[in-house]
Amino acid sequence: MDAALRARLETRFGELLTGPVRQRHDETEMRIGPGSVPEVLRTLHDEPGLRFTLLADLCGVDTGTDLQVVYHLWSETTNDWLRVVADGLPREAPRVPSATFLWKGAEWLEREAWDMFGIVFEGNRDLRRILMPDDYDSFPLRKDFHLPDDASRSPGGGVRPMERANPPADATADTVRRRSPAG
Amino acid sequence: MTSPTRPSLDDPALAIPVDRAGVFEPIPMARTERQQEFYSLRDGEMLINLGPQHPSTHGVLRIVLKISGEQVVDLDPVIGYLHRGVEKLCENADYHQAICYTDPLEYLASLFCEWSPVMAFEKLLDVQVPRRAEYIRVLAGELNRVASHTLYVGFFALDLGGITPVLWSYLERDEIVEILAALTGAKLLFNYFRIGGVNGDLNHEFMSRLGDWMSHASRQVEAGTALLNENEILVRRARGIGTLDRDTAMRMAVTGPNLRASGVPWDIRRAHPYSVYPELEFDVPTRSEGDCLARYLLRVDEIKQSLRIIDQCLHQMPDGPIMAKLPRLVRPRPGRAWAAIEGPRGLYGTYAISDGTDQPFRMRIHDPSFVHLQLLSLLVPGNLIADTMAINASLDPVMGGVDR
Repeated sequence: MDAALRARLETRFGELLTGPVRQRHDETEMRIGPGSVPEVLRTLHDEPGLRFTLLADLCGVDTGTDLQVVYHLWSETTNDWLRVVADGLPREAPRVPSATFLWKGAEWLEREAWDMFGIVFEGNRDLRRILMPDDYDSFPLRKDFHLPDDASRSPGGGVRPMERANPPADATADTVRRRSPAG
Repeated sequence: MTSPTRPSLDDPALAIPVDRAGVFEPIPMARTERQQEFYSLRDGEMLINLGPQHPSTHGVLRIVLKISGEQVVDLDPVIGYLHRGVEKLCENADYHQAICYTDPLEYLASLFCEWSPVMAFEKLLDVQVPRRAEYIRVLAGELNRVASHTLYVGFFALDLGGITPVLWSYLERDEIVEILAALTGAKLLFNYFRIGGVNGDLNHEFMSRLGDWMSHASRQVEAGTALLNENEILVRRARGIGTLDRDTAMRMAVTGPNLRASGVPWDIRRAHPYSVYPELEFDVPTRSEGDCLARYLLRVDEIKQSLRIIDQCLHQMPDGPIMAKLPRLVRPRPGRAWAAIEGPRGLYGTYAISDGTDQPFRMRIHDPSFVHLQLLSLLVPGNLIADTMAINASLDPVMGGVDR
């Protein structure tokens, strides 16, 4: 953990942070509002004391209530990974400015986040489906998208205690017994 | 003669409604700025499909090429043919089950696909992995890296028209997967790493096979690459083709050998050490040219460094347990963890969120091939159609990882 980085981020971004800077293991996490993404990323990328020049990952997250965009960055000025969480995107109209003005390579990562979560990245010039077909109309990684067949929760999921961790709500003692190898 | 009672085909009552969504559009309607640019053809330009069933696309990749004569003007990679929804599946499996879903992502380097989620889960659980387990992980991982790079060398030559090197590569790789099979029990999808350690200890068969192979491995690498390094056809088709400069590589979020071939000495094993890599001696080879030949030669250098690491692992292997004490059903406290490792293709990362249950709330898998495939539309335009294969092969994408 790099305590100096935490202090630097807190003084530099002060009012832009929407939550405390958290640190655990080799990770530092900061939370910002979606509107301040370009400003914060630009500063992190360019400022001499920060120099987070390498984009390791960009992904969407559905917290169940709202959506997030998560950036993982690396800099040679610190030995921590930096996680920037753009928090509080409403489910109905999640919009966040694109990071392609700094990392052109974020284009496909943003397309994937659009494909999976329906997050609109303003300024991405190729925001269309990437993994799912063009005519698909739901966002599969959202929490309200349920798998039609959830193998790990089916009564046939397994007979060993670990595999039976989550018996389905409609399972009775009878169905569970019938599927065990003992008969 | 038609009888007056016979209905006419023009009768609107007989019209069959056509579901427009199900109709294949050879040229899709332009929706984004990029599509408008790509699908507007100037005089003399045409669109042609490469793949998805083409032997040189390294899996089911479809590339729409916009060509003018023999020259590629622009291209648009179409992916998703192999999409299995692994991230969603992992959210519906418990932590141990999630690891075997990540295994077939990158089928040429499965151990690295297991490694990053395992590391992320260990961070969530605050588990200390025994040192012997870490050494075994590094040993098996480096063996897998050699296998993957060996195959890369063969396929790179194959895509440039040489048949022999790929046969040699398979012979070499076969030996390595047999060694790994003695350790893990499988030749392709190992499912060997566990949260807190590895599945099994080193055994006699593994050690004897590994010893046999180590005695001639470096000689075999030399023999295989001697066939290629000075080969007039290969060198002339690869040198100066698909040049990626340092700044563009950083801007494109490139990692791994493709980044180091452009002159950035960034290797997570050194830049952000994990496991026991700080205790091991090895160099991070870089090249400044950034063309297809540099990317190929860099992988050959990496094979030699991996052999060095394997040798040190065998000599420094400590005694002790191979698994941390953990319950069979793990429930990490709510939190978030990111773990990234250096795989044969670049950064493999996992971002796991725990909500306190036995299943990950969200599991993001970052695969380097996905990011690197974007480079095609940057590097290929201006080259000939045949160079598409050379550049694609030199970037080394594996479609299982791209499509997830």
